[in-house]
Amino acid sequence: MNLTVFPLLVIMTVIGIIVSVPAFFMLRIIRRMEPLVIIRLFVWIYGRAWLAIIKPFTGFQAEGLKKGDFKPPCIIVPNHLSFFDTFFMGALPFSDVCFAVRAWPFKMAWYAPFMRIARYLDVESASWEESFEACKRELQRGGSLLFFPEAHRSRDGRLGRFYSGAFKVSVATGMPVVPLCITGTGRMCPPGRPLLKPAKVRLKALPAVNPDRFPGPDGHIEMRKFVKALMAEEIERMDISHAV
Amino acid sequence: MRMTNEEIIRIINDSLIKEFELDRTKMVPEAMLYDNLELDSLDRVDMVIVLENAFKFKIREEKEIRDIRTLGDIHKFVINKIRESERIS
Repeated sequence: MNLTVFPLLVIMTVIGIIVSVPAFFMLRIIRRMEPLVIIRLFVWIYGRAWLAIIKPFTGFQAEGLKKGDFKPPCIIVPNHLSFFDTFFMGALPFSDVCFAVRAWPFKMAWYAPFMRIARYLDVESASWEESFEACKRELQRGGSLLFFPEAHRSRDGRLGRFYSGAFKVSVATGMPVVPLCITGTGRMCPPGRPLLKPAKVRLKALPAVNPDRFPGPDGHIEMRKFVKALMAEEIERMDISHAV
Repeated sequence: MRMTNEEIIRIINDSLIKEFELDRTKMVPEAMLYDNLELDSLDRVDMVIVLENAFKFKIREEKEIRDIRTLGDIHKFVINKIRESERIS
């Protein structure tokens, strides 16, 4: 698996970087697309290519992720098991998604320029007020947001503590939260392990949760707890069905 | 009935553990909110709501909240706030 996936990943990345330059200017001039929209489209295509590479080793399955299953703009909240979770976001039904991530991915030289043009959010370095305003702007322009509410990859496969940011933005803007359950990526490539191993990977988007159900000053806290409970239940169900 | 300092500390710790899913073994007075308990800036805002709900007082306008760095600072702040309101009443 490693002798196939890693060389293909390197080739895909190099080709992607080379092709992206002329493709960027073509889309910019001919289609007059915004730079951030173009780069987000490229990232999504890169994710699609990743899914094609990895499918033979993971039997990848997606549920609730077809076009029309949920509509942008929304706030997508996946659980986090592996570095490669972001690659699987190629399975999302649309590409105009702004990733709200920690500072370290912005330090990867081959990805950072794309992340900056795509205006991904470094929520670790920015203050909460700055991040909040950026999130509101993003939703107002019609883009969707993606937060890993655990902030860190889970070390034991269990759902970790959820931070409130995504839910605070949802309650403040009225935009729904889409819980996205991931299983298997932690078995495929757990934190701290350099090599991949075959494992069944599944992504399942649950029905969107509307913030109207959580009024009051601590509505975002209640929403956070509600969404976490939904995801914990579904992930357990998905894990059991893997084991069978 | 007057709460003891130990009771106040227990309520604070239990509320924070419940709301932020914190590890009880890390709940020592010298624990730094950011570095040890891994609370972020938004959690500090939520923490105020959690404490207000737990003790039925209003503290969101208090300037001293900005100086809170450790769990022990929270304990002291809340104990002072409760003792102050007891004196007034």
